Amino acid sequence: MGSITKPTRCSPLLTSIGENETMSARSPAHRQGRPARLLSAVFQPIGDEGRASLVERRIADAIRGGVLHAGEKLPSEQDLAQAFGVAPATVREALMSLRSRKLVVTRRGRGGGSFVADSADPMAFTTEALLATTRVSLRDAATHYLAITRACVELAARRADPSEVELIRARVHRAHGGDLRMWRRIVDDAVIELAALSQSARLTREQMRLQAELSPFFALIDQDEAEQRRRLEAMDSILNAVAEADASRAGNLVADAVAHDVTWLIDHRAELEAQ
Amino acid sequence: MTMHAPPATGSPSTIVADYFGQAIDELESWKAKFSDDLAAARARGPVTTDTLDALVAPYALSTFDALDLPVYGSGFIAALNSLADASSHLAWWQGADRARLVLAAQSVSKEAIDYSELEWYRVPHQTGEAHVAGPYVDYLCSDEYTITIASPIFLDREFVGVAGLDLLIDQVERDLTPRLAPHGSDISIVNGVGRVLLSTSPHRETGDSIRGAELASLTRTACPGMALEVVSG
Repeated sequence: MGSITKPTRCSPLLTSIGENETMSARSPAHRQGRPARLLSAVFQPIGDEGRASLVERRIADAIRGGVLHAGEKLPSEQDLAQAFGVAPATVREALMSLRSRKLVVTRRGRGGGSFVADSADPMAFTTEALLATTRVSLRDAATHYLAITRACVELAARRADPSEVELIRARVHRAHGGDLRMWRRIVDDAVIELAALSQSARLTREQMRLQAELSPFFALIDQDEAEQRRRLEAMDSILNAVAEADASRAGNLVADAVAHDVTWLIDHRAELEAQ
Repeated sequence: MTMHAPPATGSPSTIVADYFGQAIDELESWKAKFSDDLAAARARGPVTTDTLDALVAPYALSTFDALDLPVYGSGFIAALNSLADASSHLAWWQGADRARLVLAAQSVSKEAIDYSELEWYRVPHQTGEAHVAGPYVDYLCSDEYTITIASPIFLDREFVGVAGLDLLIDQVERDLTPRLAPHGSDISIVNGVGRVLLSTSPHRETGDSIRGAELASLTRTACPGMALEVVSG
């Protein structure tokens, strides 16, 4: 249950600063305004991004999202090459770019290697991303997140055994009061486990993707201890509703929780802009 | 319609027990040999994840072809805190290309993966016996709706991990539905918490739960050697 947020998933909101692949990846059919949407989706360019850029983006996303933290030593070039399934030269190229972006530093000699830069503060990256994201885009991300989470939780309420719900609750309570990073990891895992109780593989995969994308923003909120407590209480009420097989109450509670989060982020964004 | 389905022999509970029983038998057979290998490795010194992977690989890979089952994944999951260089480890191979599972958390950030509460680890550990776990959405390995058959390994009474294999429900449905269909259109396989694994009834969906009074009102037959029941109605 540890790292269910398979940390190598990309995080579009975070990468939207300066790297707008989704915009440039539009197919020619789309640009010409042809209506055959499903057909044009089939022939979307797969992307001619080099493998080194992909490796670079994976690592950059992990650093910006706080999955890899400041000062942490990266695996050796060989190990990275094996993990990514690319040549060591590709990894070297990616690391060079990461160094020039000041996300990674390399030290020579004994105990040397590549490290996440000490200045890499995920909260700073997320704050930057929040400022660079429009309100409409934030609201839309929240709408998507709600649609999936609500569907998962409603199905879980119909299908989960109360004992399965209690395992999740126990873990979330154990994590509360610990450091922020541990708390966020456990909450992300708990949300994914709750989603998995829907018994839908498709919905669970989508939840994992969205959780990886939005978790850095939730972490911004959870820096405030009162917000952490509120999230724990919200989680408890949702788990109660699921355990009591009350799908509509569970769904409404999820809607309230997501509304709270997105409002917090929009307010916070406005405060940052005012400064 | 079911030209390629093997002849349905025995009762539905026997069909189900035979089907998953093959997997349990296979795990028990490689467990015995693997336990000797692992004991020998431990006698030589602390066992690392690399050592473990090398020991498990031949057994895990042979499991794919040893059985008349659609094995999706296979391997060994180490008991927590039993290895020299990691607190958790899945020595696991899966998919069409039988690739070794590389979890980013394991290989890059070296974070512990706490699988102590997952059914396929927890139940064999607690009972000391093989267990058919699921169906569940396996968000750790396959990302699919999965059944895991797992059997615990003990060395001198010390729990060292579980040997396991994964079957995707999608494949299990293809195999078992034609064998169960001749026995009626209201037969369901349910697990220990009343969750439907698959059903010949159009009214019961895989993943739904049958509980309480409804479950009590149905005719239930236990499948020997595993926590599964066949219910009709």
